[in-house]
Amino acid sequence: MLNVLRVTGSSLAPRAVPAYRPEVPSAHALVAPTVRAMAVAAPPTVARIASCALWGLEAALVTVEVDVANGLPAFSIVGLPDAAVSEARERVRAAVRNSGFEFPLRRVVANLAPAERKKEGTGFELAIALGVLRATGQIAVEIGALCLGELALDGRVRPVRGVMPRVRGALGAGVTDVVCAAENAAEAAAAGAYAVGVTTLREAVAHLSGEAPRAPTAVPPSAPAPRAAVDLADISGHETPKRALEIAAAGGHSLLLVGPPGTGKTLLARALPGLMPPLDPDEAVIASAVHSVAGLVDPARPLLAARPFRAPHHTASHLALVGGGSPPRPGEVSLAHTGALFLDELPEFSRHVLDTLREPLEEGAITLSRAAAAATYPARVTLVAAMNPCPCGHAGDPAAACTCLPDAIERYHARLSGPLMDRIDLRVHVPRLAYEELRDEGRESSRVVRDRVLAARERMRARLAGTGRGSNAEMTVAEVRAHCRLDDAASALTREAMRSRRLSARGFHRVLRVARTLADLAGSDRIRGDDVALAVLLRGAA
Amino acid sequence: MIALAASDPRYPRGLRDLARPPATLWLDGDTSALDGAAVAIVGTRRMTGYGERVARELAMACAGVGVVVVSGLAQGIDSSAHRGALDGGGKTVAVLGESIPVFRATVRGRRRPLVPRILACGALVSEFAAPFAARGWMFAQRDATIAALAQTVVVVEAGESSGALITAEHARRLGRKLYAVPGPLGSSASVGTNALIAQGHASALVSPDQLIRAAGVGHASSAGSQSQDPTSPDPLLDQLRDGPLSLDDLARRSRLPAEALSSRVAMLLVRGTLVSLPDGRLRRT
Repeated sequence: MLNVLRVTGSSLAPRAVPAYRPEVPSAHALVAPTVRAMAVAAPPTVARIASCALWGLEAALVTVEVDVANGLPAFSIVGLPDAAVSEARERVRAAVRNSGFEFPLRRVVANLAPAERKKEGTGFELAIALGVLRATGQIAVEIGALCLGELALDGRVRPVRGVMPRVRGALGAGVTDVVCAAENAAEAAAAGAYAVGVTTLREAVAHLSGEAPRAPTAVPPSAPAPRAAVDLADISGHETPKRALEIAAAGGHSLLLVGPPGTGKTLLARALPGLMPPLDPDEAVIASAVHSVAGLVDPARPLLAARPFRAPHHTASHLALVGGGSPPRPGEVSLAHTGALFLDELPEFSRHVLDTLREPLEEGAITLSRAAAAATYPARVTLVAAMNPCPCGHAGDPAAACTCLPDAIERYHARLSGPLMDRIDLRVHVPRLAYEELRDEGRESSRVVRDRVLAARERMRARLAGTGRGSNAEMTVAEVRAHCRLDDAASALTREAMRSRRLSARGFHRVLRVARTLADLAGSDRIRGDDVALAVLLRGAA
Repeated sequence: MIALAASDPRYPRGLRDLARPPATLWLDGDTSALDGAAVAIVGTRRMTGYGERVARELAMACAGVGVVVVSGLAQGIDSSAHRGALDGGGKTVAVLGESIPVFRATVRGRRRPLVPRILACGALVSEFAAPFAARGWMFAQRDATIAALAQTVVVVEAGESSGALITAEHARRLGRKLYAVPGPLGSSASVGTNALIAQGHASALVSPDQLIRAAGVGHASSAGSQSQDPTSPDPLLDQLRDGPLSLDDLARRSRLPAEALSSRVAMLLVRGTLVSLPDGRLRRT
């Protein structure tokens, strides 16, 4: 074959693939199924039902075409189905029969178009079953709704993962009606569709044919903002660590807390969600879509109300942390998108696993490429990590003597690779406090700090308007140059830092981003010397 | 690497004081480092910030007056002493508990970069040629060699059962001048040294000057006195004399307002006067 092509030469040029146009009726025809029921008479030979495939967060409409022809009884699904899709044959056949319909004893072919991309999952089964019923005339009307759902053998409709991104994709393609499992209906409604939840195939048919139309599911109320687990006012002392938390919350900078066990590192990290600005609606949809793909949404309240705070255990594998598998699923770093990823006991994570975090931390997204498919998930997180200062945990602790040899402490820190540590903007020591410091007065509550964070975020948003980025940590190098104007004291300090080579070029830009956040927190347009000084201190130039 | 047989004129005279002097002393580096006045500065591997500073200051004082610093190139006090001598521009001799090639092949961490510096300004010596890693008895034997090579022995910090106490014991038996640096009561790193003083085995060493006089080279030269100046001109740096502090601790102790403090400290940091440790605390260089 190849030889033939080589002889003919021009055939080697890549074939132009026509742009896929979903073959669904226009939106206005979908609004009132009861009216349309009267217009249709004879069953078509080929039924077309809209469904949706998902690769990562990328959704594309799939037309399920079902053809019923004369011939030996057979049922096949084509169009690059994976194992789960192929198994649908058995579930569809049983569900159709057990719902009181007739499965045709003829040659049935279901095609998932476009056929060139691999489809996975069980979400097409409802569409295939409806297609069979439509092609055999057991449903008398044209079906224009997006149909998503897995079938049980007895004809019940089961929920599937990733309804939110699929419905968003369908809305983008002009399909506004959705029929899905009752458990998924709130999710589909939250994504903006006219969503009808059904519990059985029979209910779906009754609704679509107009016999017993069901009311659309109401858009679920957004959950009330959850109360933060820890309030800053509950934490004594620790002025610099608290300040670092405020900076991290405002600018999205990564933070490492180092201190002996029991000094409040985890408590400090858990106070971060209470300081972060609320999710804006666009962010909430994307973050909820990632959760939807992972099957982690609350069926009643599918939209996330607060920024996620993910705290994977240190035994996590790289698949768990950055995602993967075939087809690729999102990992913790993507589930924490728009929120915070907290890695407690950082050196206990395997070094290989931590190093896989480098790319998503830098890019704000991760592309998982597998032989069958590639998926891109967002991963814009505020990294918060905590660790002990040495293996025994007591280096620098006045209350307990450290029993570690100097070389052992060095090896402990060497477990964290240089490139990863280079991406830590704020590194603070969380010391053991003396009794007097535990009773300090006048602590600020999270609410007060959060107000400052919100004001600073507003300044960042205004500055970065139109770029799609909203925090200083996401500024590109060009934006750092444009927006980080230094006053005299600040330039003197940065000049000195560059001259003495205590700061790399990357380190310099990261320092400027943090300094920009400090100036934003203070409400200043110019970056002052003190801002750069504190940024340098917290980064730990060396 | 050269071998000094007991018959060799370059074989250190001090070693003949031992009950069983090593038949051969292997040496890598400068042979002349074994001549002249030498002070042994030894101590525990689990040192505190205080011990690190004292070992360094004593070694720098010795370097300033041309006294060779002898130690065992272990982690902790030994390394700090070698580093102080090298930073002070002096010579230093590292007495190893295993053969020189084995040590050089296996040493890791902060001691590794010390090896070429010591070879350039001093020597690595060992009485062992065995091609295997050190056994416990080899270190004990090495501790005696350290005492024999010096005329004065200082124990900076030693826990209850520190190997430095073996050196102290040999120093006493060999009639070397023995000093111990007194430490805070309750500090486990100073239990051994305080006990040496309490039992009358060692004299309390209270200043680098006292050590220089004991080494028999008269008063410290200007170079030596500079490093041992007990009050640093900068009160901020003064707070960091006894080991690293967190920013909050530094603010509390220096009583400076937060903004003034961070600007000052940042400038010291970018100039390299201070370094920040991996745990976020600040340390003097």
